[in-house]
Amino acid sequence: MATLIPPSPAASTTPPAAGSNPAATEPQKVDYLDLPCPIPYEEIHREALMSLKPELFEGLRFDFMKGLNQKFSLSHSVMMGPTEVPSQSSDVIKVPTANYEFGANFIDPKLMLFGRVMTDGRLSARLKCDLAENLTLKGNAQLTNEPHMSHGMFNFDYKGSDYRTQVQLGNGALLGASYIQSVTPHLSLGGEVFWAGQHRKSGIGYAARYNTDKMVATGQVASTGMVALGYVQKVSEKISLASDFMYNYMSRDVTASFGYDCILRQCRLRGKIDSNGVVSAFLEERLNMGLNFLLSAEIDHKKKDYKFGFGLTVGE
Amino acid sequence: MGSKAAAKRKSVKKKAAAKEESAAATKFVKEWSTWAMKKAKVITHYGFIPLVIIIGMNSDPKPSIAQLLSPV
Repeated sequence: MATLIPPSPAASTTPPAAGSNPAATEPQKVDYLDLPCPIPYEEIHREALMSLKPELFEGLRFDFMKGLNQKFSLSHSVMMGPTEVPSQSSDVIKVPTANYEFGANFIDPKLMLFGRVMTDGRLSARLKCDLAENLTLKGNAQLTNEPHMSHGMFNFDYKGSDYRTQVQLGNGALLGASYIQSVTPHLSLGGEVFWAGQHRKSGIGYAARYNTDKMVATGQVASTGMVALGYVQKVSEKISLASDFMYNYMSRDVTASFGYDCILRQCRLRGKIDSNGVVSAFLEERLNMGLNFLLSAEIDHKKKDYKFGFGLTVGE
Repeated sequence: MGSKAAAKRKSVKKKAAAKEESAAATKFVKEWSTWAMKKAKVITHYGFIPLVIIIGMNSDPKPSIAQLLSPV
């Protein structure tokens, strides 16, 4: 749902600490006791994800957000288009579907509630609540009428002065914990462990993130065999380039992608090319205050799957 | 020797009874937690959106029902 325009990469890099120098000419000494708070562990690839993975869609999409007051808003959204059905063969099978989704959001500094319900009964709900000054409870659930297809997850986040920890509990006996620490004003390192009871799997992973005002480099390794590296460079105020490399050493699957993100006054254009032969682009154009026009295209040359979509978003 | 065997059998039976009791207790807890999770899932499924709407309608400045139901 494009109900919130994602923030620009310029605003999303971590704020510089007391040690780094925005305007001074001589380098200041790094104060290792006063490092900035790092990005949450699950958002470590945030810039690369924002640039390389826009919400591509196929068909028509119409979103209407109606604000009833500063904190509370309702949303009505209609989507018509083919959706993919998983199939055994390499052919892509698409089934045309149309659905209407009603949503309600309540956004308060202390409590955020986000709910969306579709005509077929699927509910997706998110909750974020500040229990104490540094402790946050987040919850996420996708509930359906079909048995055994619902998922739910709760996270408890604790934010320290220069570290963050998170404990995750999910259905299917999923348990996870992660920790990330700022080591220098630009570098943060973190790790996570998880245990999935239902599949009897456990894993451990490490991640590192180095960022300056102009670039962000991230790397993540997990015992499930995943290695993910990302690099985003802000070439100018309006344009940034991103690249991403994902390698799974268990299944020997490699994907590399390269993309750009242009944020101009009236529009935001993101494009990407992939090593799987996928070329995609996403344009959000601001026609007027509160009226956005969306165009999405994804061409998969290998599977011969062409997806084009257009949409309109009314309201903030 | 007979008494030792009898004592061994008795301890084995006691252990088996204790294990059975703890197994029954864990089964009870599991069944009860599954029942609770099922009820929680149904309550969340039907009640989440109405809960958000109620919290929103009671926040300041209070919107009216007409604003909630009208399409504009």
